[in-house]
Amino acid sequence: MDTGFALIARGVHMEYRDRKSDTSLVAIESMDLDVRAGEFVSLLGPSGCGKSTFLKIVNGLLKGTAGEIRLRAAGNGREDAMVFQDAALFPWYSVLDNVAYGLVCAGVPRKQARERAMPLIELVGLAGFADRYPYQLSGGMQQRANLARALAVDSEILLMDEPFASLDAQTREVMQAELLRIWNAAKKTVVFVTHQIDEAIYLSDRVVVMSARPGRILADIRIDLPRPRALDVKRRAEFTGYADQIWKLLTTHGVSVAAPTDAT
Amino acid sequence: MAATATRSTGLGDPGRLGPVQRFRRANERLLYGTLGFVLVIVLWELAADLGLYRRSLLSSPSFIWNAAARDFGSGTIWPHLASSGAEYGLGFAAALALGIPLGLLIGMFRRVDHVVSLLLFGIYSTPKAAIAPLIILVAGIGLESKAIFVFLLAFFSVIVSTMAGVHAVAERHRDLARSFGASRWLEFRSVVLPTTVPFLLTGIRIASGRALVGVVVAEELAANQGIGYYIEFYGTFLDTSRVMLGVVILGLFGITSGELVRRLEKRFEVWRPEIH
Repeated sequence: MDTGFALIARGVHMEYRDRKSDTSLVAIESMDLDVRAGEFVSLLGPSGCGKSTFLKIVNGLLKGTAGEIRLRAAGNGREDAMVFQDAALFPWYSVLDNVAYGLVCAGVPRKQARERAMPLIELVGLAGFADRYPYQLSGGMQQRANLARALAVDSEILLMDEPFASLDAQTREVMQAELLRIWNAAKKTVVFVTHQIDEAIYLSDRVVVMSARPGRILADIRIDLPRPRALDVKRRAEFTGYADQIWKLLTTHGVSVAAPTDAT
Repeated sequence: MAATATRSTGLGDPGRLGPVQRFRRANERLLYGTLGFVLVIVLWELAADLGLYRRSLLSSPSFIWNAAARDFGSGTIWPHLASSGAEYGLGFAAALALGIPLGLLIGMFRRVDHVVSLLLFGIYSTPKAAIAPLIILVAGIGLESKAIFVFLLAFFSVIVSTMAGVHAVAERHRDLARSFGASRWLEFRSVVLPTTVPFLLTGIRIASGRALVGVVVAEELAANQGIGYYIEFYGTFLDTSRVMLGVVILGLFGITSGELVRRLEKRFEVWRPEIH
């Protein structure tokens, strides 16, 4: 495997059998994707395009019908860590124990795991909240803990499944900027799933646009915006240019994105 | 001329409470609960004094108190309490010792669960009093038959609630454990057990009440000792004060055990906002 790549996916295919109608539904149609080490790639598409399914196949939570996934392992052996859509923190664990959980799963003794979790809690901006329980945190803070937990295992790749989808618009923008800051500090490869065009462009080096039924790649767009990116980059002409390009792509493929489209 | 209203919105600084106020805050439930008891006792006594009912039928707080002073003073009530306590303790402990591990185990394996759960629920919903004569026939009228009866009443509450707890495990929490590569044992400790504990404690609270019913029913059917026997015995002599004394003792025991489980619940569930 070329060491320049953190993820190589070949012919990943996912088909569900509907028992009632005895027909099969193709969730992902033979998908190829290469992600370079350190790259930030977004999978963008409407719900039902299989982007989350693809992420779960990469993570091993789901088995695909066909295809092959190759992941580069980080120094400590862990290849990937998932940042879940609903933060999925354990309500019975403190923030510290939640963040340390991935390490405990990897066999690190609890005390040591806690020590190693501490700097990541600080990195994501939760210093002083280590002893709180999830119900005491806001949605944005829960997602910070969610991110810290994935960072703690120090994997090569972060798989992020629409982590900001349930946040309000302002918190989401703050978290996007925060994610870029953390990504820059942690130097990880990120595969980020979202259905929001501006979020994908703002965050990514590449935006992989997908269509639904069957889920497949429509385009792979390189985003040439200088980094570090402040939030006001969203108002630049190049940015809106990318947004228009992706919007057209999605609408011409019969995908309705939020606003109704003209039938032609 | 426009009217203006000024509203005070401050509750005061909660940090600066005096010791009396702090005690009151911490034990509010207990204080008001006691007040409820005192109120009922006073009203009851008053009703008896005013002749609103016949004291020979329902006794009265002062008469019950006298009965208690007599039987605790002479010590004649202790053997009854001791044998009821033994029946309760033995049966309830066995119910916990078998119900919790079996419930967890059955809940973890889907097919075993399917085989057992309907059966268990069937037995759980059947009134156990129906089989009490059978148990007495098999195990006699001593400690064994009572303990078995208590066990039967408590066991199914414990096992059914434990299984319900295991079923309540959230798929996203399971996914999370698996995504990070948790072992089955770690998944059990970090996901299944914490989810189950609240259900289990509720089950224990219900079971402790049912176990008490078991003691009384078994003893009233056939026994020569125990608090149920005490109630039954003095009932036939129309000694209502002693009957009521037995009932009051049972009630106090029920309150105490319920309160104990509640404390346990609080300790185990600091993460559940609604308990605080």
